[in-house]
Amino acid sequence: MTKQHYVTIKGTKEGLVLRLDDKCAYSDMIAELRNKVSENSLEGLAEVRIHTGNRYCNEEELKEIMNIVHESPHLRVARIQSEVISIEESNRKVLENQSETFIGIVRSGQVVEAEGDLVVIGDVNPNGRVVAAGSIYVLGRLKGIAHAGATGNEEAVIAASWLEATHLMIADKLETMTDELTILSEQPEMECAYIHPNGFIAIDRLQELRILRPNLSTFKGGS
Amino acid sequence: MGEAIVITSGKGGVGKTTTSANLGTALALQGKKVCLVDTDIGLRNLDVILGLENRIIYDLVDVISGRCKVHQALVKDKRFEDRLFLLPAAQTTDKNAVQPEEMKELITELKRDYDYILIDCPAGIEQGFKNAVAGADRAIVVTTPEISAVRDADRIIGLLEQEDIEPPKLIINRIKTRLVNSGDALDVNDITTHLSIDLLGIVLDDESVISSSNKGEPVVMDPSNPAAIGYRNIARRILGESVPLMSLNEGKSGFFGKLKTLFTK
Repeated sequence: MTKQHYVTIKGTKEGLVLRLDDKCAYSDMIAELRNKVSENSLEGLAEVRIHTGNRYCNEEELKEIMNIVHESPHLRVARIQSEVISIEESNRKVLENQSETFIGIVRSGQVVEAEGDLVVIGDVNPNGRVVAAGSIYVLGRLKGIAHAGATGNEEAVIAASWLEATHLMIADKLETMTDELTILSEQPEMECAYIHPNGFIAIDRLQELRILRPNLSTFKGGS
Repeated sequence: MGEAIVITSGKGGVGKTTTSANLGTALALQGKKVCLVDTDIGLRNLDVILGLENRIIYDLVDVISGRCKVHQALVKDKRFEDRLFLLPAAQTTDKNAVQPEEMKELITELKRDYDYILIDCPAGIEQGFKNAVAGADRAIVVTTPEISAVRDADRIIGLLEQEDIEPPKLIINRIKTRLVNSGDALDVNDITTHLSIDLLGIVLDDESVISSSNKGEPVVMDPSNPAAIGYRNIARRILGESVPLMSLNEGKSGFFGKLKTLFTK
């Protein structure tokens, strides 16, 4: 029986690619990877991308692969690519990308949370709280607390038909809405809040969003 | 089979007990058989406002713990023959002496004999509130035109919406016409849009509410009093009549002018 290669190194236009076979036993693949890496056929320092194909590797396994590759003084892992993800991860991704809708009034003391974007049809009353990993859109009066990008997404925005929130949070930035923000007391209608490049939360007309955050649009094509 | 209505507010001192006493009396005046249940265990007041304090023998906790039968604990208001009864709260224990399931059982038992059971809820959102709401079919939220009372009403409405009862209705109590007309107090419209629930009625602020409560005689018995008219209108709305909301803007020349001339005679 001829020895099959479980690990192949290829040079492509984008650099070195380390392809790991996805049919063999994990331990065989690891053993061969160790050999391949210790072969001193390389010079200098090369960035390498690892393809795991259709093999699902959990975080510990990925860490092990990385460590083995890093044992060679000539290789640095740029990225690990895989054709597969776990169902759990897939579900999480779906949730993160979907928009959830809440119809009703978020009253004092109530918390409405979403794993993706959140659309509230109704008011958010003072001391009511809306939290979303994505953006928050309120069709109604936002008079309570809103936290968009709760898991760290700084691109998230908070938009409301009537923006009179007491506290606005985006990712880890917090802004308390005081009278100093004249834009709100003068014109709270149809506003949105976002993180300005200067690092603070800024408020602007809703219509400016298409320029400020064009990526929020999920609409493909157009007429 | 009667209907149980809980009267609640979240904040203390907005007039839950006064509203309970007056609505109970107004419904009895309309010929309905009414039982008032005071669930403010440890801080009972409803008996005092109704002037029934010295007729109490057993209380709510006695009934629930089985020391007496319900009918033994009910105090009859003699002014209304057999139409107005009070189940007083216990004063010597605390709100944890009763569990929501026990209240539910008790209210279901009372519903067999009465048209309306009005449950006077204690302030707060803890055990006492849970007990009071347990057996109710409907809820009335009382607030005053103050921002703090409105905030608490909002919280309470949120909690009530999670219960298995009809959407709560609102009473705005103690409206000072002078302040509202000068724009210094929240007006009825502001409050109802903020809370977005149906308005059951408004009650004007009147000194005689306090003086009559002190005498143990609910103000609603005086048909010419402006606060009493508010309570009577609410009672009629509970019974299903459609009564127009009294206007605050008629000012001296209108409704209040008439009242004033009535008093200055």
